[in-house]
Amino acid sequence: MKKTNIILLVVVAISIAVIVTMVGDFSTYETFATASSSAGKDYKVISVVDTTRAMEYNALKDANLFSFYAKDKSGQIRKVVFSGTKPTDFEKAESVVLTGKIVGNEFHCREIQMKCPSKYKKDQVAIGKTI
Amino acid sequence: METTFIGEHLIPGQIGHFFAVLSLVASLVAMTAYYNATRATETATQLSWQRMARWSFVIQALSVFAVFSALFYILYHHLFEYKYVWRNSSRNMLTAYLFSSFWSDQEGSFLLWSFWQSILGLVLMRTAKTWERPVMTVMSFAQFCLATMLIGIYFFGYKVGSNPFALLRQTEENQAAPIFQLKNYLDFVKDGNGLNPLLQNYWMVIHPPVLFLGFASTIVPFAFAFAGLWTRRFSEWIKPVLPWALFSAMVLGTGIMMGAAWAYESLSFGGYWAWDPVENASLVPWITLVAGIHTLLAYKSSGQSLKITFFFFFITFVLILYSTFLTRSGILGDTSVHAFTDLGMTQQLLWFMLAFLVPAFGLMIYHRKAIPTVHKEESTYSREFWMFVASLVLLMAAIQITFTTSIPVWNKILNGTGLMKLFHMKDIAPPIEPVFHYNKIQIWIAIVIGCFTAVIQYLKYKETPKGYAWRKIWLPTALSVVFTVLIATLEHINYSVYGTGFLIAIYTMLYASVYAVVANINYIIGILKGNFKAAGASVAHIGFGLILLGILLSSAKKEVISIDNMKILDGYFAKESKENSRENLMLPLNMPMQMGNYHATYVGDSIVEGDFKTYYRVRYEKTDEQGNVTERFTLYPDAFINRKGAASLVANPSSKHYLTKDIFTYLTSLPDPDAYKDTAQYVAHDIKPGDSIFFSQGYMVLRAIQPHPETKNYKPKDGEMAVSAKLDVYSSNNQEQYKLEPVYFIRDSAYQYNVDDTLSAMSLYVKFDKIMPTSNNEAKVQIQVKDSGGTQRNYIVMKAMIFPYINVLWMGVLIMITGFFMSIVQRVKQNRRVEKTTNTRKHKPVQV
Repeated sequence: MKKTNIILLVVVAISIAVIVTMVGDFSTYETFATASSSAGKDYKVISVVDTTRAMEYNALKDANLFSFYAKDKSGQIRKVVFSGTKPTDFEKAESVVLTGKIVGNEFHCREIQMKCPSKYKKDQVAIGKTI
Repeated sequence: METTFIGEHLIPGQIGHFFAVLSLVASLVAMTAYYNATRATETATQLSWQRMARWSFVIQALSVFAVFSALFYILYHHLFEYKYVWRNSSRNMLTAYLFSSFWSDQEGSFLLWSFWQSILGLVLMRTAKTWERPVMTVMSFAQFCLATMLIGIYFFGYKVGSNPFALLRQTEENQAAPIFQLKNYLDFVKDGNGLNPLLQNYWMVIHPPVLFLGFASTIVPFAFAFAGLWTRRFSEWIKPVLPWALFSAMVLGTGIMMGAAWAYESLSFGGYWAWDPVENASLVPWITLVAGIHTLLAYKSSGQSLKITFFFFFITFVLILYSTFLTRSGILGDTSVHAFTDLGMTQQLLWFMLAFLVPAFGLMIYHRKAIPTVHKEESTYSREFWMFVASLVLLMAAIQITFTTSIPVWNKILNGTGLMKLFHMKDIAPPIEPVFHYNKIQIWIAIVIGCFTAVIQYLKYKETPKGYAWRKIWLPTALSVVFTVLIATLEHINYSVYGTGFLIAIYTMLYASVYAVVANINYIIGILKGNFKAAGASVAHIGFGLILLGILLSSAKKEVISIDNMKILDGYFAKESKENSRENLMLPLNMPMQMGNYHATYVGDSIVEGDFKTYYRVRYEKTDEQGNVTERFTLYPDAFINRKGAASLVANPSSKHYLTKDIFTYLTSLPDPDAYKDTAQYVAHDIKPGDSIFFSQGYMVLRAIQPHPETKNYKPKDGEMAVSAKLDVYSSNNQEQYKLEPVYFIRDSAYQYNVDDTLSAMSLYVKFDKIMPTSNNEAKVQIQVKDSGGTQRNYIVMKAMIFPYINVLWMGVLIMITGFFMSIVQRVKQNRRVEKTTNTRKHKPVQV
């Protein structure tokens, strides 16, 4: 067997090993309910911001506390606490991906990823205004 | 009946679209003609096909330039009847940012790509000689594919491409709108939608052209490799392709790092690299391209590694197309901060990718027996053997990054094939800590590659004499150990957030990157004897080592200094929980706050004429133990405040640059003007010039009463009589002095109006209410002042961090680019020399 082939085998083996360990890093999209069944672990939850309830951010009180209510895919609503400032255009987000964990009744979140509406929809809204 | 609309300029759009279609047809003709020229056996037929091919490619290139100009024309003249213009620009933009508008959207960026590819094609036409026909066949095909992206014509009910010259009234979502039934609808479309303020930035003007030149140039190595297989000249293509591959790696690398610099300088991502899918997607092809260059060099000197070179050059361009697919198809929606949405071209992009992937790899498999290989086994003490291994390590890096970046694609595939249901799986989500996920794997690759970069060139091709390498390399190896220990102790590198294992990896990478730099410097001095002409590779390697070093130092020693210590005792966001600590600090106006070694004070905001940003002045002071100020500087982080919709903030950072570190500051929140009920009342003061009014934070003096005023809030009009009060405001908190000028005017001799003035830094509102009648002809005026309490309402929330040794990274980038450039020059010269000698050799038999 040629050395090159041995090296190739080694590389393939390492790659597979790395990928297998990597998959362990991957998370899954959960709901608040499944996230609370194993509290203390971090999850990603896709949810929609509940705009009927107040969002709270007051830099004078605490510059690193933003709280709001979010509804997950199963329809459950939870209070979400984020340790940071209120993200720009938060109100406009179609949906948000929250990374964090359940603590008591609240979802403590350390990252918010917003999905913004498509450009085309924005076009329509703006034209509506022009008229 | 056709309605004619008033005020539309349809000619530039028609010209643009005509040339878009022409470029499509011409590229198709060029491809066919070049194909026939390659296949033809008789010289006369070859030449006639070639002539036709050249003409059509030139026409194709000129058409692309015409489309390019037409699109710029409509942007420059603000023709909002075109959707592209309306969607991406507005009248108040600076002209330079019209370029940002140009390539901010899909059509414009494909056009930019096509533009560069045309230029590269024209250069190849002149320089590729015997390679022109097959190489240009591939180039023309690529041009054809790009041209389909821009036509926007329906074929059998299937929309192909998107026409940048589509009219606003013709787009699907607008056709039914009542406004577009009006003949004079343009009277209502006065201004465009504008460009995202983040993109109104000089980096956005220069970064995309460079990046797209990088993208476009990867087709050249692909085309040469393909031509080599196709014409069965399996090894001759190596020489002409080398400078092109180097050029491509240089430009693509520059483009990527310009993106990093943009992210660092102007976006508030808090760094230069975040392992975002969009960044990854452009990095991966660069890695495979660099791997390809190295296997190519190995082949050139030893005859080994030819097959894998084909593989690398093919996969590089396919990965470029894959990255385009990822970013433009909207598939990344949930995983990237760059909010991309589906633009309805997913399938077309997929076909584009397959159109290159299938023939290239098909041809490679078909010719696998014919591709020359050396059957003798290479020595373990040879340069080519280890270059091959190194290229595989790079390939592993590429695979790992691609694998994680493609998570949304895996979800699609698993869902589409029904496997997900079968195994009761949930959608896979990206890692909870993406940066650490990549870092913990890539750091080992960086270590291996760093060491390889240092060592491999001390080996000789084919067989290294025993003891040779060691004799040459022991000195840099030992020196690197010394330097590493020095850096680690002097800089206190003790990044322990992720445990001891990761810290060991950091020390090892520190060694590897220092080793790469030192060994390559030693190589230039010791082996090349300072011959800089041949030192391109070593210089690029030094740059690469410095990049690794800069990345390591700046990330391991990055420190957020704007830590808000309030509530930290709660253990609410404890360090162990890995939740982000309280990194935002509120700075009330004029109140110094402790931040690391500094006292930071927010001292007010300011606006510059012709600029739509508000600049927030933050003064930093460093004091020694006696309390003397040792250093003082002011940073100006700025923000676009969108006053149209909900209070939204688009912030740009400001940094203080030192040689060894940067202090990086950006705004994360501003007071919402609507959030506070304003309870303060206006209080009237009757004063005459020279009098003063006191308020909570200082006093103001009425300097004069100004007839016929013109202020930033008031412009005189006919039939109006106006006066203004010139007020000087003195703050008791600092040495600042401000000016206010409220206006009072009478229109048509009957109606009284006033235009008030505000001083947001002090929440002060001033109104010129009336002119008081006095007995002794003395002018007295009534000024109403509302003092809303000052500091309570005026504050900023910001983040500040220290990036140490970020300059090492930037310097590394510049040096690496220089190294690439030196190599290109050297290889081009070498090729010319070889050409000359073969030419003279050819002539010799004639003389004999």
